[in-house]
Amino acid sequence: MYLVADIDVSICAEKSCKLCTQYCPEANTIQYSEEMGKSKGFKYGSAYVAVDRCKGCAQCVWVCDNMAKNNAIKMIMIDQLPLAAVTDNIRYDEKSTVAVLSNPMIVIGN
Amino acid sequence: MSLDYVKFSGGFEKFMPKEYRDMVEHGPFGKKISVSQMGSFKEILEEHPMCAGCAMTLFIRLAIIAFPNPEDTITVGTAGCGRLAISQAAIPFVYGNYGDQNGVASGLSRGLRLRFGDKPKDVVVIAGDGGTADIGFQQVLHSWFRKERFTTIMLDNEVYGNTGGQESGMTNRGAVLKMAPLGKKFEKMDMLQMAKVAGCAYVATVVPNNPRRVESVIKKAVLIAREVGSTYIQAYTSCNIEYAIPTDKVMEDAKNVENDRYQFTEYVSEEAKQYLAERYGYKEFLPKPAAPAAAIPNKA
Ligand SMILES: Cc1ncc(C[n+]2csc(CCOP(=O)(O)OP(=O)(O)O)c2C)c(N)n1
Ligand code: SF4
Ligand code: SF4
Ligand code: SF4
Repeated sequence: MYLVADIDVSICAEKSCKLCTQYCPEANTIQYSEEMGKSKGFKYGSAYVAVDRCKGCAQCVWVCDNMAKNNAIKMIMIDQLPLAAVTDNIRYDEKSTVAVLSNPMIVIGN
Repeated sequence: MSLDYVKFSGGFEKFMPKEYRDMVEHGPFGKKISVSQMGSFKEILEEHPMCAGCAMTLFIRLAIIAFPNPEDTITVGTAGCGRLAISQAAIPFVYGNYGDQNGVASGLSRGLRLRFGDKPKDVVVIAGDGGTADIGFQQVLHSWFRKERFTTIMLDNEVYGNTGGQESGMTNRGAVLKMAPLGKKFEKMDMLQMAKVAGCAYVATVVPNNPRRVESVIKKAVLIAREVGSTYIQAYTSCNIEYAIPTDKVMEDAKNVENDRYQFTEYVSEEAKQYLAERYGYKEFLPKPAAPAAAIPNKA
């Protein structure tokens, strides 16, 4: 098993600074969604991770903890994540993206 | 090259992979995109085999987003880590022999001008410190002295990363590396000064922990190279493998190195300033109004 980044929507959607989206070395891995936060009653949208692209470097954790000072990202074993975004389930909208969350292990194992 | 090359071929649309469809429908081609929109559009850079947490990868990602007209851009690269990502982007990439990149780019940029006339096609060389300051040194310097109109970007990880840790001209004096166990005996080469002496119209240093600055520097360099002359960007892009930087400390290292020896510097020639102001509306380069005459001191 291996670690991937997981963003706590309830923390991120309060701040929604988008900082981590600019610091992940991998393209289209930390995505941003208006729906992710607002549909759950939070103030703003939230960042989220396409786990199939995440290489587990934890650079985003450092950025969220030390630059944004929001502590919203944790590294989690991929099989411990109940639901996650994967590239196949991400749709692009005008200003953000929409992800249908699914069990990352089932999707990856398909 | 034009927006035409990011279209589906007739009848193929439904067979194309999702990533390709996203690129056609939600990519940055023909749009004004900035780093503040990252995470909401499909990027030109795809998945690639560079190491987890590599700062060079982040810099390449930002640089590609910053290209002013990606649909009219060709990148030129050479042996070294960076090509592993640059080649996985949806813009044409020319791969020369190790060190040939600035010679290849000189011919390419001249050829494109013959073929397409005034319509700008941007040529951007992206190569490692070994490729730029050691093996490609002669061609790099000659392209600058000849004022070849393209951008040269050095991905300075201060080591030959791709081949396991030999010292390069850009390694710092005293650095001990796997294949330089006695420590480097000479100073880091001053390529910035050489770029200025050779007549580059724009010379800048950046570190990827400031994405907006990377974006602004890349845009200026590419625009100036369209008409004024050679432009050079030297970016600190650490190798977390050869310098044993834990991946979650890569940005901390970038910050420390920026404070220590990689402060932001930018040189813009007078001609380039005028060009940016007049052609692209860069207000900071508009001529300053003459200072009012100094007030006569009150002798009372
Ligand atoms: C003519 C030639 N000599 C040697 C090599 C082997 N080689 C491949 S990459 C590389 C070093 C690259 O170092 P640098 O340019 O600093 O880029 P980095 O990998 O550090 O990004 C070498 C020596 C080669 N490909 N071609
Ligand atoms: S840095 Fe943290 S708070 Fe800011 S967008 Fe990313 S996860 Fe959310
Ligand atoms: S762990 Fe690394 S690869 Fe994964 S989302 Fe964070 S920065 Fe990106
Ligand atoms: S070897 Fe170093 S420079 Fe090359 S991809 Fe890995 S971390 Fe980056």
